[in-house]
Formats: sequence, C-alpha cells, structure tokens
Amino acid sequence: MLQKKICMLGAFAVGKTSLVRRYVESIYSDAYHTTVGVKISKKVVQANNSEVNLVLWDLYGEDDFQKMNWKHLQGAFGYLLVADGTRPATLDKALALEQKARAEVGPLPFVFVVNKCDLVNDWQFDAALEAQLVAKKWTILRSSAKTGESVEEAFSQLTGKMLG
Amino acid sequence: MDTFSGPVGCGPHFLPARQIIMADTPATRRALEPAEQASAKGTGPFDELRHLILAPEQEALDRLHQRVADPEARTEDVSSVVAEAIQLRRQQGDDEALSHALAPTIETALRESVRKDPATLADALFPVMGPAIRKSILETLRSFLDSFNEIMDQSFSWQGLKSRFEALRTGRSFTEVVLLHSLVFRVEQVFLIHKKTGLPLGHAIAPSVATQDPSLVSGMLSAIQDFVRDSFHTAEGQGLGRMNVGDLDVWVEQGPYAIIAAVIRGIAPRALRDTLAETLENIHRQYGLQLERFDGNTAPFAAIDGDLARCREFRYKEEPRRKGRGYVWAAAAIVLLLVGGWAGWRWWQDHRWSQLVETLRDQPGLVITSFGREHGRFVIRGLRDRLAADPIQFVKNAGLSIKRGEFHWGAYYALDDAIIQQRAIAQLLPPPGVTFLVEDGVLRPQGSASSTWASDLVRRALLVPGIRAVNLAGLHRNEQTAFDKAKSDIQSLVVTFPIASAALSPSQMAALRAIALRLKSLFASADDLQQPATLEVIGHCDSTGAETTNVFLSQRRADRVVWQLGQLGLPGTRLHAKGAATNEPVRKEDSEENRQYNRSVTFRVTSPGAN
Ligand SMILES: Nc1nc2c(ncn2[C@@H]2O[C@H](COP(=O)(O)OP(=O)(O)O)[C@@H](O)[C@H]2O)c(=O)[nH]1
Ligand SMILES: [Mg+2]
Repeated sequence: MLQKKICMLGAFAVGKTSLVRRYVESIYSDAYHTTVGVKISKKVVQANNSEVNLVLWDLYGEDDFQKMNWKHLQGAFGYLLVADGTRPATLDKALALEQKARAEVGPLPFVFVVNKCDLVNDWQFDAALEAQLVAKKWTILRSSAKTGESVEEAFSQLTGKMLG
Repeated sequence: MDTFSGPVGCGPHFLPARQIIMADTPATRRALEPAEQASAKGTGPFDELRHLILAPEQEALDRLHQRVADPEARTEDVSSVVAEAIQLRRQQGDDEALSHALAPTIETALRESVRKDPATLADALFPVMGPAIRKSILETLRSFLDSFNEIMDQSFSWQGLKSRFEALRTGRSFTEVVLLHSLVFRVEQVFLIHKKTGLPLGHAIAPSVATQDPSLVSGMLSAIQDFVRDSFHTAEGQGLGRMNVGDLDVWVEQGPYAIIAAVIRGIAPRALRDTLAETLENIHRQYGLQLERFDGNTAPFAAIDGDLARCREFRYKEEPRRKGRGYVWAAAAIVLLLVGGWAGWRWWQDHRWSQLVETLRDQPGLVITSFGREHGRFVIRGLRDRLAADPIQFVKNAGLSIKRGEFHWGAYYALDDAIIQQRAIAQLLPPPGVTFLVEDGVLRPQGSASSTWASDLVRRALLVPGIRAVNLAGLHRNEQTAFDKAKSDIQSLVVTFPIASAALSPSQMAALRAIALRLKSLFASADDLQQPATLEVIGHCDSTGAETTNVFLSQRRADRVVWQLGQLGLPGTRLHAKGAATNEPVRKEDSEENRQYNRSVTFRVTSPGAN
C-alpha cells in the first residue's frame, strides 16, 4: 500500500482543521492539538487504480502565540497551503509559509487553497496576485470547509501531484 | 376537630385527647391558638361557664403549650425517644435517606474529631484497624504464597532445574528467575514507524485489542517524539524510550531510520526491550536502503509484520537471543582468565625461580640452604663465597625481576676447585705467562716464571684456603728456558773445514771464539739449574774419501775444535771429541754447498735435566 504524509500549512483560523474535518473519515481528538502541536488524521483515496493512504498532519501554530514546529514538516510528501479569502493578511502569510517550507525541507508538491469561498461577498482576493501565482504554476483552488466545495478536489489534486 | 367532639370531663377522659394532640400535625396546633386567645381575653358569663367547664383542659393545654414552646423541654422530650425513632426508621426500611442526611454531619464530625485529637479516633478504630490490616497483609501474603507455591512447584521440576541453572548463570536469585518466568504481561501492539515521515511500516496486534488506525497512532507517536525532542532539547538520535499510563506501557526503541514501539499491558521483563532492539537492528540490516529511500510505498516491508508479530508474542526466555546475559559469561570468562592467568603466571614465576635456584646450585661458591615465597617475594637463602658468580646477574639473565627476589647470603670459603683457583689467582698474583690450574685442591701452575717466584710459590700457595698441595711439574723457570734456548742455538751451529783438512780458516776461528763465549754462559746457567752440562763435539766429513781416512779426518776435526775451545778457556773435562765420519751427515749431499756442511764440526749439549 502507498502511504503519503501531507501537512496542512496556513495562518491561524484560515480553516485548516475544518478542511481536514470535512475531508477525512478518522480524526484524533482536538485535545492533542495544543499539547503536541499537531493533529493527525487519515484518508484512504483511490489514485492510479490503487489505494493511497493519506496521513494528514494538521499543524497548529503560526500565530502570534505559538510557533509552528517545522520538524513536523520533515518527511511530508506534500502539503496543502491554506489562506482565508476574507483576510488578505493570510494570503501574505501563506506566501511566506511556502518560502519557509521550501527553505526547511526543499521543494514539495503543494496545492494552494483559498478557503471560505462561501462568504462570497467578502471575497478579497487580488486578481493581479492570482495571475502572478498562476504564472508560477501554482495550483489555486477556492474552497469552503463549510459547504464542502473543492475540498475533495484540493486533496485529490495534491495526491495527483505527489504521485506524478 | 376530634378534640372538641370527644367525651367531655376530667381525669381519664383527657388522656386519649392529649395523646392525640401529641401525635398531631403542626396545622392542628395552630388551629387551637385563636380559641386560647379568646379565653384569655373573655370576661362574660359564657366565658365563665366555659371556664368552669374547660378550665382543667385549658390548664393542661397551657402546660402542653409551654412544654412545646420551651426548647429545653422539647430537647428533653426528643432525647427520650430519638434512639427509638432512628431505630424505628431503619426498621421501616428507608435507610438511605437517613444515611444521606447524616453523612455530611458525621463526616464533619469525624474530621473535627481527628483535627482535635487523632488519638481518640485511632483508639476507637484500633479494634477495627487491626483486623483490616491483618486481612490486607494476609491477602498480600496469599499472593506471595501463590508465587512461592509456583516456585516450590518449579523447584522439583525440569523447569525448576533449568531455572536454578539460569539463576546460577545470570547471578539472579532463583526466586527472581522464577518470578520473571511467571510475570504477567501482554504485548498488545507492536509498531514499526518510519522515523522521518511518521508513517507505519508494520503493525502487529494482539487478538481482540481495540485500537486506533495504525497510521494515526504512528503519526502521533512520532509527533510526540518530535515534541519531546523539541521541548527538552535532547541530543540527536535520542528520543522517548518509554511512556506509561496506568498499567499500559509504551516502549520505544530508536533506530536511524525507523523506530519500534511496543504497547504493553502489565509488567514486562527487560529482555523484551532487547528483543525489540534486536528486531529493529535486523530490520535496519535487512531494509537499510529501502528505509532510507522510503517514498510511502510499504510493499517492500510486507514481511516486517511477521517480525513484529514475533516481538508481540515475546515470552521471557532463559536465553534472550540478544547478547543477553552474554556479558555474564564474558565477565566470568575474564575473571577465570584473570585468575587462571594469575595462577599460571605465578606458577610460571615459581617455576622460573626454581630453575634459577637450580642454576645457582650448580654455581661454585654458592650454597642454597632454602628458597620459597615469603610476603610475595621469592626469597633465596644460602652461603656465598666472595669470589662466586654474582647471583643478581643470573636473575637478570633469566629475565626475572630483581624486585621480586630477595637474597640472603652468609659468607664462607668455598672448596670448589674453580673457586680455589680464583682465590689462588687473587692471592698469589701469577706473573704473565703463568696460569693456575687447581685439581682436587692441588695447585698446578703452568707456564714459566722466574725461579725466585717459583721457589717462593709453594710456601705462599699453602696459605691459600683450599690448596693442600702444589705440583710444579708444569712450571718452567725462566733460566731453564734461556738454557734450553741457548742449548738448541748451539746445537744448530756448524763449524766448517776445507776439503780433506782439519785446519780452521780465520773466519771459522772468529766464529769459534763467539761460540766459546756462548758455551761459557751455557755451562754457567746449567750449573745454576743444577744440571751440569757437558759438550760433545762431533766431527764430520763428506762421503768422497775412503772410510778409514774419513774416520781419522773427522776425529781430527773434532779434536781440533776441542783443543781450540780449551785454548779459549773452556774446561777440558766438559768437552768430548767424537769422529762420526760420514755416519751422522749434517745435510744430504745433493749439492756442493750441502756437501760443504758435512766437512764440519757440530755440537751436542747433554745435561741431566734434558730429555
Ligand atoms: N464560513 C466559513 N467558515 C469557515 C470555513 N472554514 C473554517 N471556517 C471557520 O473558521 C474558523 C477557524 O477554522 P479552523 O478550521 O479552526 O482554522 P485553523 O486555525 O486554520 O485550523 C472556525 O470558526 C471555522 O468554523 C469556511 O469554509 N467557511
Ligand atoms: Mg486548526
């Protein structure tokens, strides 16, 4: 069986945990989150006619209070970079995190997810920036953990990238 | 209401009513109050009548009222029935409410009592505590006894013998070994986790154990490892070795690429950890490259589940496969080796010292009286002639340490010939050319020395301890040597004559003069040696003439020389002329030169000492 470790990267409260919760079948209690700084969940997906075991590491931190433990990113095969479409600051944070991740563990497959697209009225995504990222061959998806929009797709795109 | 409808009158009629009031509810009592107030205020004839009729009852009521209102009296009343009331309540079966009601009070009371004076309660509880404690001890003892019984059972079984042997071998007590074998534990799960990714590579689980998905557990275990490493700044390569929750233990062994984690319920022996470590080592050995290049594909590791299952089925074994108690063997072997080595070395040393003693025994001038180890050193006692070989040198030559040896020598004069010889050399100082030989106490000087030294030698030699006689046969006097030399010189001289003549040429005359001088000194030294010498002068001639002529000619030549020597001062009595004719040719006549040698005179010295 193929197993892949995936990390969730993104600023505080962008919806990482919600996305995982929406996506996976099994999940650990939230209690570990703050103590160990990571929450692990699993999802079995079909890819290339075989089963792939995705082990999702939802990293806690990267806010003013808690530093993320970058060691958890070690050994990941890819990550989901999450931003909150309603808060421009989280986009900048996502870009910074991508750079930091590259510095820490080298280039890894990732998918950029701009979450909370259900709050469509509050959309604050800069078209120019988006064009710039697309030019850099970033995969960008608008998702909602609330409605479930593009959640499956985000993970399956990432899986495809990791296997490809 | 019954109160008023009941029979009216004094005395006995009242008793039932009173009883009823006592048992009545507070509501009834309150209903009485307006009537009482009215009676107190009323003054009319009806009231008077009522007073007449009801006065005794009224008084009784007042008394009762007073009694009820007075807390003291009420306490008194309740106190007389409180025990019965509680008892009654319990008999009615509703125990719990009462207990609930009383519990807080009792608890507080107990706490207060203990706070005030613990001794009171302790004393009170003493009769209860004793049995309780005894019971507890008994329980503990019983479980000990169970183990003990097991031990006893084992004592006389094959397993017991094995345990005894194991105890002997491992240095554990027999009880400990048996207890180890009877430890109760179960390895519920074993995980092999890829260190870098935290992904599970293998998993073994005991039947009917509920668990989380291995992926989640593995991830969490490695996250916890990261957390611990990060939080406590442990050294690289170190990690959590053990987690414990209640009777659940998680044992973790770290490898370079993978970690192995066992979830254990109960108390597992340390040997399990060895098994875990060994399994992890084997896996690293077998899958090193795959582990290093792990890309999430667990297919190559399919067989690992089997290894983990074997770990999970771990039971305490006498001989843990890992190095195990090997170090005990190693230690024992080392001790044995050390002891054996020490004993061997000691034996070897003793042997070598004994050999040394034998060598010393063979040495002249050394007498060994005793030897052996004393306070860690090899002590040799004996007698030593001052001239004997230095024993220290022998110790050095044997390669032994002088520090380990000790000599105690008494001085003496050795009578070994070799020593006597040395002693004689030291005391008699033989001149160059003389050597001493001692045989059986007899000094035999060899070589030549002046006769004065030689004549003094015997007297001096007998003063040397050990020399009982002197044999001078081998000692030549210097004078004798000179005499012998002069003698052989003279005997090699040839005085030649012309053909068929006995006349001396002037040159031969001169030679004869020199010969005369040498002869004089020869005779003198022969006299000194008390070996009076005589000289035979032998005349020769060549073989050309007739024999009769030759005899005559040779005799004439000899006479001529003898006469001449007499003329030169030599005593005639010591000179004898002899004509040898051609009988004793000086040379073989193969040339004219050699033929001349036979027309001559030669000399022969005879003396008693000469051989
Ligand atoms: N409306 C909306 N709210 C969301 C969405 N995703 C997350 N949230 C909310 O955002 C908050 C932070 O989400 P959380 O998953 O804890 O963020 P995390 O810190 O990145 O893990 C929570 O109150 C979520 O209910 C989304 O797609 N739409
Ligand atoms: Mg979260």
